[in-house]
Amino acid sequence: MNVLIKSATIIDTKSEFHNQTLDILVEAGRISKIGTALENPNHYNILELENLHISQGWFDCSVSFGEPGLEERETIVNGLKTAAYSGFSTVAINANSHPVIDTNSDITFITSRALNHAVKVLPIGALTKESKGVDLAELYDMKTAGAVAYYDYQKPITNANLMKIALQYASNFNGLVCSFPQDNGIAGKGVMNEHITSTTLGLKGIPALAEELQVARDLFLLEYTGGKLHIPTISTAKSVELVREAKAKKLDVSCSVAIHNLFFDDSVLNDFNTHYKVLPPLRTQSDVDALVAGVKDGTIDMVTSDHNPLNIEEKKVEFDYATYGTIGLESAFGALQTLFSLKKSVEILTRGKQRFGTENTPIQVGNAANFTLFNPDAKYTFTTQDIVSKSKNAIFEGESLKGKSYGILNNNQLVLNLK
Amino acid sequence: MSELSVNHLLGIKYLNKEDIQLIFETADHFKEVINRPIKKVPSLRDITIANLFFENSTRTKLSFELAEKRLSADVINFSASQSSVKKGETLIDTVNNILSMKVDMVVMRHPNPGAGVFLSKHVNASIVNAGDGAHEHPTQALLDSYSIRERLGEVKGKNVVIVGDILHSRVALSNIYALQLQGAKVMVCGPKTLIPKYIDKLGVKVETDLRKALEWCDVANMLRVQNERMDISYFPSTREYTQQFGVDKALLDSLNKEITIMHPGPINRGVEITSDVADSKQAIILDQVQNGVAIRMAVIYLLASKIKQ
Repeated sequence: MNVLIKSATIIDTKSEFHNQTLDILVEAGRISKIGTALENPNHYNILELENLHISQGWFDCSVSFGEPGLEERETIVNGLKTAAYSGFSTVAINANSHPVIDTNSDITFITSRALNHAVKVLPIGALTKESKGVDLAELYDMKTAGAVAYYDYQKPITNANLMKIALQYASNFNGLVCSFPQDNGIAGKGVMNEHITSTTLGLKGIPALAEELQVARDLFLLEYTGGKLHIPTISTAKSVELVREAKAKKLDVSCSVAIHNLFFDDSVLNDFNTHYKVLPPLRTQSDVDALVAGVKDGTIDMVTSDHNPLNIEEKKVEFDYATYGTIGLESAFGALQTLFSLKKSVEILTRGKQRFGTENTPIQVGNAANFTLFNPDAKYTFTTQDIVSKSKNAIFEGESLKGKSYGILNNNQLVLNLK
Repeated sequence: MSELSVNHLLGIKYLNKEDIQLIFETADHFKEVINRPIKKVPSLRDITIANLFFENSTRTKLSFELAEKRLSADVINFSASQSSVKKGETLIDTVNNILSMKVDMVVMRHPNPGAGVFLSKHVNASIVNAGDGAHEHPTQALLDSYSIRERLGEVKGKNVVIVGDILHSRVALSNIYALQLQGAKVMVCGPKTLIPKYIDKLGVKVETDLRKALEWCDVANMLRVQNERMDISYFPSTREYTQQFGVDKALLDSLNKEITIMHPGPINRGVEITSDVADSKQAIILDQVQNGVAIRMAVIYLLASKIKQ
């Protein structure tokens, strides 16, 4: 794939060209030249877009596509198209399909469906067989097929001894163990954050305590076992504090937060809108503030869309019966830029790859071209027209966002969303 | 003519003070009607109302049905046990099927909080919430306030304590909103396990000592412990609950004033109140039941008049 990209502002603090508007010549998927007014002697296609900015390809460490088994929610092919259109050149896919991805051949199925796609797929295997939280899945065998981490998506490991064993066992081969931060005993039948809004709605609350107990437990376990722990999608101020303290103790822990937990507090639930039913639940404004601070100071390693397409039948029901989750790839950049500067937003979207076993590719001559192309100044109201996903359960519907992706250039392919 | 500010009665929190005043004045009129030899008016001869009860109810269902019939509305009844809900039909489909038979108003009892709000966004009918999970039970709160007004002259300035299982109660939340809207002070009293952690943020006092609560109040609204909603024991035994939160005559008589006792029913005699309290002249429990019909007539009448427009 050869292309001459004209007048692109490079946003990459790892590149000597950071903040410069230059032409980039890509030949056979590699960056061959970067400079001003580059010539095009071989008459390659020229790419010129309004207010074009380019960064390293973005990474999302938690997306769900449904396939195999739940293709009515989303297929891998359309999910990857959604990722590419939304600017993500690397995604880690959760194991929450039907059946759950918990064997070597399951991992192979995922990678084969994504073979030769512009978006690089990092498959996550289940930590326990069928994600039932009883017996460990064949973690090493899945690693040999390409699994980058182990996670029973949004299902806590209730047995502390099992978590201890998982951390010990996976440390044999440097495996990354993920633990959903929720104590189900404390969470009970809760369906939203326990606070004033849940009280006024009569909905059962999930106390912040439910998350914090589990985070504290897992950090205690990690201190005992050693190994690598990732805590996906924390949502409370105290969780940020617990992780901060653990990092100060040099424990090998990372964590992420969902973008919607940075953007909304639980007061938006006041009319029982199921689009806002997510797990972990939207918390209070002081939690939101602490999470944003945690992202800024690096306590929170990654920000994820926690993209989870769901059928309308799973959302257009009574609140108690609605399934947790929202799509988020399409709105991720636009939402982040309402909270952070352009430079910070891009930095957030490109960090954390190494934790999931893949490398950064700075924008330098000689490197493989792995770009996201975007217009950071596009202001718009996010509507269903902006959705590429098969499912339309978008928490950001109706929100004013800033910044749109044009697409990606990766794996020697250019995928553009120019509608 | 005055009218309600809302097209549905989904909860007290969606009403204003004037709405409550209007409902009470209308109920005054209907209370007079239901004490006549002919207890019926032809006001809603052209209105069809569906009572949809997705959860068991005896008194609320009877009260609504009687209110509707005394307004001469056509009434159809539906309960979950005989319904297609068990065959997997969604709530919206169930209700739209009924509405396609030209029903104007839906009175709904449902186990899930927000079910009425949800329905009001997706179907074309006036919705009356007859209790949705632990969210609201607006007509109960209206009839409670109406009964306080009847007994004590006005609600404003009165101290009202709600005793018992606040956590699982829709009656408590609706009462808190209704009483505060009318200028009463509200306290909740019960074991801490049955009081929502953040309820003080609604501006209510929280007390765990029943005697102190009764000494403070003018009215005590005694709630039933809703064992059917509990997934775990919130207290060790009914006996122990009664020791701390049951009201008996000796306790009432030891107070330095005569307080009014209310109960939304059904009463567990000997648990939250003893028989001699339930049957005493301080209790207005049966007045509440009678007022329930007048209040529900008023609500249905006022909402129906908005449909007719």
